[in-house]
Amino acid sequence: MPIVLPGLALLAWEIAARSGSISRIVCPSLLAIARELGTFAIRSDHLTEAWISLYRALAGFAVAALVGVPLGLALGRSPIAARLVEPLLSATYPIPKIALFPIFVFALGIGSLSKVSLVFLECLYPIVINAAQGARAVNRVVVWSARNMGASPIQILGKVVLPAAAPAVFAGFRVALPVALIVVIITEMIGSADGLGYFVMGALADLRTDRLLAAVVVTAALGWALDGLVVASRTRLIFWERHETYFN
Amino acid sequence: MPDWILSPSEVVRAFATALGTGDLLPHVVASLARAIPGFVLGTVVGVALGLVAGVSRVADLMLSPSVFLSYPVPKIIVLPLVMVWFGIGDISKVVIIALACFYPAFINAYYGARSTRAILVWSALNMGARPIDLFRRVVVPSALPMILSGVRVALALSFILLFAAEMVGARSGLGYLIKQSENSLRFDLMYVSIITIAVLGSLGDALLRLLGRRLVRWREGRP
Repeated sequence: MPIVLPGLALLAWEIAARSGSISRIVCPSLLAIARELGTFAIRSDHLTEAWISLYRALAGFAVAALVGVPLGLALGRSPIAARLVEPLLSATYPIPKIALFPIFVFALGIGSLSKVSLVFLECLYPIVINAAQGARAVNRVVVWSARNMGASPIQILGKVVLPAAAPAVFAGFRVALPVALIVVIITEMIGSADGLGYFVMGALADLRTDRLLAAVVVTAALGWALDGLVVASRTRLIFWERHETYFN
Repeated sequence: MPDWILSPSEVVRAFATALGTGDLLPHVVASLARAIPGFVLGTVVGVALGLVAGVSRVADLMLSPSVFLSYPVPKIIVLPLVMVWFGIGDISKVVIIALACFYPAFINAYYGARSTRAILVWSALNMGARPIDLFRRVVVPSALPMILSGVRVALALSFILLFAAEMVGARSGLGYLIKQSENSLRFDLMYVSIITIAVLGSLGDALLRLLGRRLVRWREGRP
């Protein structure tokens, strides 16, 4: 049953491609797409484009996680920090940060740095907000018990608050990772000389739809792999709590 | 100081000039004419299908696996394909924005419908509610808070996609204006368009939250 709709779509696609009445620019055959996909395995320059995109997305995400989780936990536990930072956070949250990309390019150059910085900025928000919510929702009885048994503030943060907030932290990760990929692809489409976003725009300019779709499949694979990584590490690290909905 | 850093007062002056000369407003209108239809189309279809998949087992099996499988894929990557299919006009932008808005709307409506408390459904059935009443009066209201948070995510996404689509291939709109002023080193105009996008994003979000507070008045402490 789950494969009915995608199967029908693929079948219709192949019939349309084989019928000859539709240009292969609009609808290339699955075989042609598969052949272009094969070049990603044998041509190092194609594979490099995918690697560059992956590396930019992961770098920005990693820095955002390293900065965002401690910041979020601090916001959740310290009312002073919350009062200082939260107004700024909620005021800038609905602003599409991607619009700042031209300024980033002027400040940091057209290379990876401007892209990684923008990924960092976009990923920071969901990570901080989720970590803060998680830290705020920690059962206060647990914190009191730990304090009663003589735990230092650092111990409470590391051994009580962090594990209790971990599901929320991972929910933030799961929102942020696809955002990281989106931002990388967009910035590569707009201003870049490498990466998958640049690659698909090149395929569009050549009207090589088969190559374009092969790059779509590769990007999709990156998306699944990264998402799978987050889900797998969540299942391993937070063994005491099962997923309830898609995000946590 | 590098050229691309402007003082706030210069930006304010540039803003007034751009409003006066009509450099700005036509692009705002063009952007909204793409973002609003795309956002409405994507969220309406997403919420409708998500609710249906949430209550019907057949629809769930048919739709949910494909949607959840394609969810982590960055939708922007198919923009060139959409441009091949629908041309570089407004339709391709509306389609890509609708596609991106569909996912958060679907997923939140789906979980919203599925998390309807069984006791509410049983009570309604017990009081003789027909299936359509059950859907309209029980499932939809109880899914509403989650639907609204999905719609908020969709709105944020629609602005990101709008910006990207207009930067890549357009002859009007705020994304185009940013690119154009960047290329001609008109930094004043660049800041004006960036601020305009920021203001539109915040306004849209504030409107949605206002709507949310009105729609789910019975629920305390939830947006």
